[in-house]
Amino acid sequence: MKIKVDYTRCTGCKLCEVACSLQHTGTVNPWRSRIRVFITEEYCLPVIAGPYTEAACNSKGVRVIDGREFDECVLCRASCPVKPIFKEPDTQIPLKCDFCGEPPDPQCIRWCATEALTLVDE
Amino acid sequence: MFGWKGKILRVDLSQGSCLVEDTPLGLARDYIGGRGLGVKVLFDEIDPRVEALGAENKLIFATGPLTGTGAPAGGRFIVVSKSPLTGAIANSCCGGYFGAQLKFAGYDLLIIEGKAPEPVYLSIRSEEVAIKPAGHLWGKWTTETEALLKAEIKQKFDIWEASDTSIVSIGPAGENRVRFACVMADGGRAVGRSGVGAVMGSKNLKAITASGRGEVAIADSEGFKKAVMDFLEEGRENKELEKRHMWGTWSLPGRANKTGTQAALNFQTGYFKPFEVFEDPAFIRDNIRVRDEACFGCPFACSKRSRIKDPDYPGTTKGPEHETMALVGSNCGIGDLDDICRANYLCNELGMDTITTGATISCAMELFESGYLPEKDTGCPLNFGNTASMFQLMKETSRRQGFGDLLADGGYAVAEKYGHPELFMGVKKQGMPAWHPQGIEVIGLQYATSNVGACHTKATLPMYEGRKDPAHHVEWTKQDQDALAVVDSCVLCWIIYHGPLWSEKPLVWLRAVTGVDYTADSLALIGERIWNLERLFNLKAGLSGKDDNLPPRITDEPRVNNQVVHLDRMLPEYYRWRGWDESGIPTPEKLLQLGLAGKAGAK
Repeated sequence: MKIKVDYTRCTGCKLCEVACSLQHTGTVNPWRSRIRVFITEEYCLPVIAGPYTEAACNSKGVRVIDGREFDECVLCRASCPVKPIFKEPDTQIPLKCDFCGEPPDPQCIRWCATEALTLVDE
Repeated sequence: MFGWKGKILRVDLSQGSCLVEDTPLGLARDYIGGRGLGVKVLFDEIDPRVEALGAENKLIFATGPLTGTGAPAGGRFIVVSKSPLTGAIANSCCGGYFGAQLKFAGYDLLIIEGKAPEPVYLSIRSEEVAIKPAGHLWGKWTTETEALLKAEIKQKFDIWEASDTSIVSIGPAGENRVRFACVMADGGRAVGRSGVGAVMGSKNLKAITASGRGEVAIADSEGFKKAVMDFLEEGRENKELEKRHMWGTWSLPGRANKTGTQAALNFQTGYFKPFEVFEDPAFIRDNIRVRDEACFGCPFACSKRSRIKDPDYPGTTKGPEHETMALVGSNCGIGDLDDICRANYLCNELGMDTITTGATISCAMELFESGYLPEKDTGCPLNFGNTASMFQLMKETSRRQGFGDLLADGGYAVAEKYGHPELFMGVKKQGMPAWHPQGIEVIGLQYATSNVGACHTKATLPMYEGRKDPAHHVEWTKQDQDALAVVDSCVLCWIIYHGPLWSEKPLVWLRAVTGVDYTADSLALIGERIWNLERLFNLKAGLSGKDDNLPPRITDEPRVNNQVVHLDRMLPEYYRWRGWDESGIPTPEKLLQLGLAGKAGAK
């Protein structure tokens, strides 16, 4: 099972961050969310926290998708020592998406009004 | 503590000091936050008679207990100050992310005082607050200002910090104290009305950057989550989510025009033929839309980023919304979508309220066409529909150059100087927005009695089920004004919550988030308290019941549907519903009931 991201449908409302934070912490704090929305003038890109990796990579570059340039570090889902997001702000403990438990019921998908996020079978 | 953060950030630009204070929680409960708490603080801290552009005036950026919680359509913030345009209270609202970031940074209110000796900007990163030099930003247009600040943040911190940081700034218009300058936010949103951008400029404050890593605590998080789920479900079922998302306010210009209620040619009429093309809102969406952009926590995402194919207008901006399309469009005799977009773009970049800019220029256009305003004064032919002159004068206005220096004081100043103040279409010196009051009579009463002068965000259209019977329009005006005061204090979006459809929801969100046992009755009382305190501010500032008026064109000359607005009949009834005396002053009994006894500053 996977969460499929269609960033072209994302409006940047960040309700996914609210939903995730409420689910995991009972409060609203995007920095404690396992999903973050990266916002530029051109697009909004939801990024979901993947596994932690101890090594910071040195291959950061630009990835072109459908003619649009993306920072690879932003696209990368890993929590790593050099990335500012996907860590608990106070303790720096890495965060990772857990599909909101078992059976999977990701709250970000339920709060997403534009279907930028959908649950798909692998 | 739930909902509220419990802290106020007070920045004194004269002293260069940034202090953190406790939010008085009793006051927060009694005024909620946002517009209510803002006016309470302003009323207590300044003399309403101060010069609006002097160092004594304050500029309050206010969030509410629902800001940053994800309460649907709860992404707005309010700026409270004394208006340099009207001399009355200002409580302009704006969407985007700034309110949420201010809250995550830890603050219910940001109070700006004094005046910096040199241009500065304010940087807020949670508890790290600094006043920094802004000489390199002064004179810059608003999107360039934001881009330069974002680049600095990206370089100093990282790309995510730049993405999260929300920026408000003023353009040249605010710097030059154009009396209807706005504060711009997040690349094209506006704290539009009442000239709060000029207040910011008078303080030499170019911009504020805000980001925070704190939380907003929710009293009943499970109940809150369920209530939001129910709301989203309702929104899907009644198609409101889809409609708002698809069209935003773009469904309105065609509809208003078709029914003859569109401001056109300085309100000489309610219909403008070139606007027929907008009866299909897809025409607008297909031609200029880049994408739909939400405010923080809003599933509707009604605002639209737009672009036109003209190298002289590079990049993108937001809008134009319905109000803009009416005031710089039909009201100035301009029907071409690209030209309306150019006017919108210039207003956003220069930092001027699109509505008042349109109202000012349309007033000058009528003076010109009537022969009262000579071309030797304007420097250019200013007939209706003359886009070249309009764009030139907008730029001159932002610099207070040539004829623009007079335009910068607003349409009333222009009309008065040329001996025809009756040709200014506004209330309390602020231009009327898109809906022609002769099309919907009670709108006239709402414009006339608004504490901030004529304003779209303080008017409710009686078009909904349960709101249509004219026999109750005056009574509902009072009720809806109070309800909107609550909405603006939560802070929620007035567009979503001003009709009966979701009018019960603010109570649901407030109870779940704050844990305070508000009731429908206690909220109605709070709304009325806020409205009356604003009224007291205005009375102390020197306004009176005489300022609850409309241009004679609206009350005496039937221009639309052969109707006039019978303000003389509605106003006494409105005062009675308000519990005010016949000259529009709140009675001591009313003030006692609202917990405002001893506040009477009238006369």
